[in-house]
Amino acid sequence: MKKYFIIVSVLMLHHGGFAQELFSFTEPASNMPAKSIGLRLNNYLMGENKSSKINYHLVPEVMVGVSKNIMLHGDLFLSNRNKRLSLEGGSIYGKYRFLSTDDVQKHFRMAAFGRLSYNNSDIHMDEINLYGHNSGWETGIVATQLLHKVAISSGLSYVNATDNGRGNKFSFGDKNRKAINYTFSVGKLMLPKEYTDYKQTNVNLMLEVLSQYNLGSGKYYIDAAPSIQFIFNSQSRIDIGYRKELSTTNLRTAPNGFLIRFEHNLFNAW
Amino acid sequence: MKKIFLIASIVYSVAANSQVTKVNLQASGLTCSMCSNSINKALKSLDFVDKIDANIKTSTFEIKFKEGSKVDFDKLKKKVEDAGFFVAGFVASMHFNGVKVKSNETVAVGDKTLRFVNVKEQTLSGVKSIKIIDKGFVSAKEFKKNNVSPAADKSGKIYHVTI
Repeated sequence: MKKYFIIVSVLMLHHGGFAQELFSFTEPASNMPAKSIGLRLNNYLMGENKSSKINYHLVPEVMVGVSKNIMLHGDLFLSNRNKRLSLEGGSIYGKYRFLSTDDVQKHFRMAAFGRLSYNNSDIHMDEINLYGHNSGWETGIVATQLLHKVAISSGLSYVNATDNGRGNKFSFGDKNRKAINYTFSVGKLMLPKEYTDYKQTNVNLMLEVLSQYNLGSGKYYIDAAPSIQFIFNSQSRIDIGYRKELSTTNLRTAPNGFLIRFEHNLFNAW
Repeated sequence: MKKIFLIASIVYSVAANSQVTKVNLQASGLTCSMCSNSINKALKSLDFVDKIDANIKTSTFEIKFKEGSKVDFDKLKKKVEDAGFFVAGFVASMHFNGVKVKSNETVAVGDKTLRFVNVKEQTLSGVKSIKIIDKGFVSAKEFKKNNVSPAADKSGKIYHVTI
């Protein structure tokens, strides 16, 4: 546990930072405003490959804009894998924006991020997923380009799975605990055609590619995740996305399914 | 030379009865209305700000101030930056009362000390719009182009402006 705190401290020192570009499945390089708080309820409905069972993951999440360059997330992982909905763990995530090249209606930004996850459930697949499956840590960088109504973002990170809590070991071999995650996201503002006030509902369409390459086994997956997003009153958000496996050599139990997210942002929270 | 400026400043501060009536601020680095709203709400949290007319399309904010309040330009800029963006344009409408201005000369207008850059020698009367060209008040590109001497920036008290 001490080790975790040291890792977190190091991550916070050297990285930090969060942003507010608006992808459904990944985080952009931009941050939330300083002194703002975002509340999220993430619902994942993932269909099991070998049965008709739907795995439901509920992830409540709190996001805090600590300063203009630093943002933190804390979340809890609940799922119905053991029949009843139960708490399986949580994670903290930090992002630090270290580069901003802004112009009117465009920007290029880069950020470093880190995540530390804890999970107490059994490990039943060799894909490493720190968002509700594995304990472990991740660190990486993300770059985002905004050009008027289109945003493009790409992230590269190093993932390391540790054993899960309650004696649930990572049983796929020690050298297979390490992986590289690569993501690529494109989003476009579809509506309104012309902005007139903050009450207009915004509609964004997004397409994201999510992939992982295991440094030990050489196994990989590539998923595509299209989503639609509605922003109400320039303050609240609903994301509806579908994640679909395109290609894999990993053992995965429930790779395909829906994300339904509710988000509300509080500006000038303190 | 410095002494002359100082004397001039004092003379002008007595002579000039001026006030910032509004600021037109353009922010850079955003398109979405949620981003614009975050700037809008951040600016509104300042106690001297009265009313903001935001144009989401052009990322511009017309800011009006409470009567008799002290308008702090740096606080306005900081709020935009804290929201995660930058100021790309900052034009203040100020009331001048027969203030003589000349390039590279410093005058005190109300509680502000302004150093005019690239202006014809003239006397300013009534409400005039002045553009701040210091670092952080214009885009990084424009700041580089203008080449405003950085020594004066550090004091934070003298604003380089043009008309």
